[in-house]
Amino acid sequence: MAVPSASPASQSFFKTACSGLATLYTLTVRQHLHGKRWMVIGTLFSLPAGLAILVRATSPDVPPTGLEFLLAMMLLPQLLLPLVALLYASGIIDDEQEEQTITYLLIRPLPKWAIYVVKLLATITTTVVLTAIFTTATFAAVYVGADAPFEEWGIRLPKTAGIHCLAVAAYCCLFGLASLLTKRSLVVGVIYIAVIEGLLANLPFGIRLITVIYYARMIAYRTLSYVIATPHGEENMAAEAWQLDLQSDPELLTHPPLSTCFLVLVVASVFCTALGAWICSEREFHVKTPENV
Amino acid sequence: MTPVVAFRELSKWYGNVIGVNKLTLEIPAGVTGLLGPNGAGKSTLLQLATGQLKPSQGTARVLDQDAWNNPRLNRFIGLCPEQDRFYEWMTGWDFVDTCARLSGLSRSEAREAAARTIDSVGMTKHQGRAIRGYSKGMRQRIKMAQSLVHDPKVLFLDEPFTGTDPVARRDLMDIVLRLGAEGKSVIVSSHVLHEVQSLTSRVVLLNHGRLVAEGHVREIRDLIDKHPHHIVLTCDQYRQLAARMLQWPDVEGVRVLAGVNGLVVETRSPNDFYARLPELSLADGLAIQTVYSDDDNLEAVFKYLVSK
Repeated sequence: MAVPSASPASQSFFKTACSGLATLYTLTVRQHLHGKRWMVIGTLFSLPAGLAILVRATSPDVPPTGLEFLLAMMLLPQLLLPLVALLYASGIIDDEQEEQTITYLLIRPLPKWAIYVVKLLATITTTVVLTAIFTTATFAAVYVGADAPFEEWGIRLPKTAGIHCLAVAAYCCLFGLASLLTKRSLVVGVIYIAVIEGLLANLPFGIRLITVIYYARMIAYRTLSYVIATPHGEENMAAEAWQLDLQSDPELLTHPPLSTCFLVLVVASVFCTALGAWICSEREFHVKTPENV
Repeated sequence: MTPVVAFRELSKWYGNVIGVNKLTLEIPAGVTGLLGPNGAGKSTLLQLATGQLKPSQGTARVLDQDAWNNPRLNRFIGLCPEQDRFYEWMTGWDFVDTCARLSGLSRSEAREAAARTIDSVGMTKHQGRAIRGYSKGMRQRIKMAQSLVHDPKVLFLDEPFTGTDPVARRDLMDIVLRLGAEGKSVIVSSHVLHEVQSLTSRVVLLNHGRLVAEGHVREIRDLIDKHPHHIVLTCDQYRQLAARMLQWPDVEGVRVLAGVNGLVVETRSPNDFYARLPELSLADGLAIQTVYSDDDNLEAVFKYLVSK
């Protein structure tokens, strides 16, 4: 019997892989929209809009900008965005491995690093779309019917949504990498969100420079105004809540400018993705065989 | 002749656990049976051959290319994995079509290939149903379809008949035979000798990650026949029966199982032994209630071959 050979097929490997990866992208988005996780995410993301409706119903005097700040710039980016990113990104490879469906991907002509990158991109797509939708829902719940002109919040909405999308993408890259480094990525992620992004980012120390939320806040501070009128005069809610010392540094010169903040988030995301891709390309994924001790 | 699959001094360890141990083996084109009891290292070997695992030592080559981390090679190989796992929310059609497209086929090529392959495994009627509602036999068939959809040159089937009913088993066996006849190279793992025997005469025996024997199934059979068989008999007059059997030339030993009124007889000529049994009942009036082989399984044969 003649022995077959692995001679080059008519179609180039690059074309084959690209076609396969496009299918993997679609498959991953479809996976994200199935199962109970979708309900958990929907519930989590609906929280700010629900709270906005509740607050407006019970305390009509609360200024909309103040409500927007609390829900769209505190609750959403500091708690919900990292949680949603964690829930999705921690399962990029883990879910496939746990479900033992990763075999169907590993036996295809797809480089392992590309499997990771494409699945991450699909995860970022899902979370970014959800973030944009639910940020819009939050703004609608805060402003629709309130005494605030659409021309004003209509401009704030895309800027806020853009900052949220950038932050959630960075969180996805970070938690995607974490899921490759530890088997307990959910626990580690929750601790990270609580301690690093939640606690340390709120302290006026240099350690906040390693958090995603810090850069998201700086972009928000430099592009949006959170000054509200109070009986004691104007109050900059952002400066107070985010521990920005306007007394000694009114222009925030000691903090990174807008472009640096943007660049840091992008570069950090790319770095995490590249590292994750490299780890994936070198790693074995055990299905029905024991993990190395 | 260049082998289709070649393992050289191949070892795979999981920490202190040995999966495959210094295995050197060449598998030529055609259908080959990979036999071994559970834990013999069959799945590890197939995962090494399909590039999912990195050898701890040695090499695993398929179609003259290294298997580890070689996605280019995956265009030419197919795997039907042992695990009964799927994207359960997909329909059978969706699953096979998606696998075809993951393999790089265009939308129209994938559609055509999925239809052809699903038909070849007899699942056209059920292709629109969600996989979560499939029987075990249907799941095995659709799993087989995904491994064939991109028309691989070498096919690895890991325990493809496990849990299937006789009809599904026969159908799946027919598919393997057909693939062999079409000139495909198929490596099929199993722990059941007669399954493999009905597919191919070329067999590789594994145990504890080591190559125990390889060759024509007849040679393996010969080894099995040399293996002392243990036959259990139960009889109310088991002591008389034991005394009688010890006089038979082909009986090497008798052990009494007092609790169940039975005996374990050791013989190297089981066929002669079984042929003489009716005569014993007729002549001596010993009413034998049950007769069965205590080791009519591969595990015993492997133990024998390993300790040889």
